[in-house]
Amino acid sequence: MAAELAYLRPTTLSEAVSFLETVAGAQPVAGATDVYVGIRSGKHAPAALVSLKAIPALGHLTPDSPTDAYEGKAEGGTADLGVLIGGVVTHGAVEDSEWMRRHFPAVHQACSGVGSRQVRNVATLGGNICNAAPCADSAVGLLLYDATLILAGPAGERELPLSDFFVGPGETRLQPAEILKEIRVPAPGPRTFAHYWKHTRRKGVELPLLGVGARLTLAADGTVEVARISLGVCAPMPTRSREAEQVLEGKKLTAELVKEAGEVAAAHALVRDTWRGRGWYRREMVRVLVPRVIGLSGALS
Amino acid sequence: MKTITFKVNGAPVTVDVREDWNLLKVLNEKLELTGAKEGCGAGECGACTVIVDGVAVASCLYPACEAEGREVETAEGLVLANGGELTELQKAFVACGAVQCGFCTPGMIMSAKALLDHNPAPTAQEVKVALAGNICRCTGYHQIVEAVLAAAEEMRK
Repeated sequence: MAAELAYLRPTTLSEAVSFLETVAGAQPVAGATDVYVGIRSGKHAPAALVSLKAIPALGHLTPDSPTDAYEGKAEGGTADLGVLIGGVVTHGAVEDSEWMRRHFPAVHQACSGVGSRQVRNVATLGGNICNAAPCADSAVGLLLYDATLILAGPAGERELPLSDFFVGPGETRLQPAEILKEIRVPAPGPRTFAHYWKHTRRKGVELPLLGVGARLTLAADGTVEVARISLGVCAPMPTRSREAEQVLEGKKLTAELVKEAGEVAAAHALVRDTWRGRGWYRREMVRVLVPRVIGLSGALS
Repeated sequence: MKTITFKVNGAPVTVDVREDWNLLKVLNEKLELTGAKEGCGAGECGACTVIVDGVAVASCLYPACEAEGREVETAEGLVLANGGELTELQKAFVACGAVQCGFCTPGMIMSAKALLDHNPAPTAQEVKVALAGNICRCTGYHQIVEAVLAAAEEMRK
C-alpha cells in the first residue's frame, strides 16, 4: 500500500465539511464497501478518508414504520408524508423498513437486491448515488419518486433533483467539500403502483445487466396522471425515459399502450456493449421489461 | 496509526491499527481470532463475515477505525458465550454435514446467527437470501440450509 491513509471520523456535518476543505486529498466515505475494494486493488489511493458514519444528523430514516395516521391520510388522498433518508442510511435499513416496503416498493426492491446482506448492512444509498455508477440500483428506484437531494457544503445547503445530479459515470454535480446530507422522497399520492426489476444472470450478489423501474399514479377515473420509467445501464448514468413517460401520461392504461411505452423506451435507450452484456440485447430487454414491470406494479389490474 | 477501543465477544479491547486496515486484519493479526477468513478480500465470498452491532458485515470491507465503540461478535465467541459448549446452530452444522473443508464455515455460521437473531423462524427462502453472500465450494449448500432450519427449530423449543 502507498503512504498511510488518514481515516477521520467527524461527529458533525460542519466538522466533516471543514476536513474536506482543509485536508489535502480527502474524500468523503460512508459504508466504504466500494472504496475499500478500490484501495485493495490499488486502483484508488486517497490520502485521507472522511467517514460520515459517526454523524448522527445523517443516520435517520423517517418515518420508519407505517402509522394509522398516514394510512388515513393516504386513503383521503391528502397524504403529505413521504420519506427522509439520511446520507448514511444503509440498504439493509431500507430492506428492513416496513414503511419503505409498503409505500415505496420499487426503492425497497432496488435496495434489497444490492450485493449480499453483509454488504447491504454497511453500504449506503448516499454512497450508491454519489458513486454515480450507471447501474446504481437505489438511484434507479428513487428516480421513480422524484427524489431530491440535500447537499451540504461550505456555502450552506442546497436542494437538487436526483434526475439532475448525475453528469456521467462516476461524475456528479457534487461540489468540492460538499456532502449528500439527505434524500427527500415526496409522497406519491394514492393509486400509485411501482415496481423495480433488476435483470441479472444470478439471483443474488450480482450487478444488473439492466435495471428497469416503473411508477404510475392514476387519477380516480383510471387515467395515468404521473408516469415514471427509470432505467439503469441504459445511459452513462441512471436515467428516466421521458419519451416512454409521455406515451403513458394522460391516457387510460391498456396492454397496447404499455407495449408502446416499451418500444419507445427501447428506441431511445442509450445502450452500449460491455463485457456483462451486449447493447442489442439490452435494447431488446428494455422493450420486453418495461411492459413487464408495469404489469408487476399492479397498475393494469 | 490510531488507537481504537471496541468490544470483541463481550470483552473490551484496545489496539493500535494502521488507518487503512480493515476489521478482518485487526481480528486476524492483532487479536489472533482466525475464525473469520480472507477469501476474496472484496466482499463477494462471505468467509470474513462477523457481526457488528447486531448485523452481519463483511469484515474485509469494514474499515478498522469504524469499529471504534462498537460490539463485534466472531465465531470464537459463540462457544465462550455458551459455557464452553457448541451452540445449537453449530451442533446442527455438524449433525447435518454442513461442514466439509470448513473454510467458509465461520462466515456461514455468523450470517446464519445474524439471521436467527432477527428472525427465529425463517423460511428456506429467507435462509438462502441471508446466506447468498456466503460462498461454499464443497457442500452444494443443501446441508447448510438444512442445518440453519434445523437449528432454528431446535432453538424455538
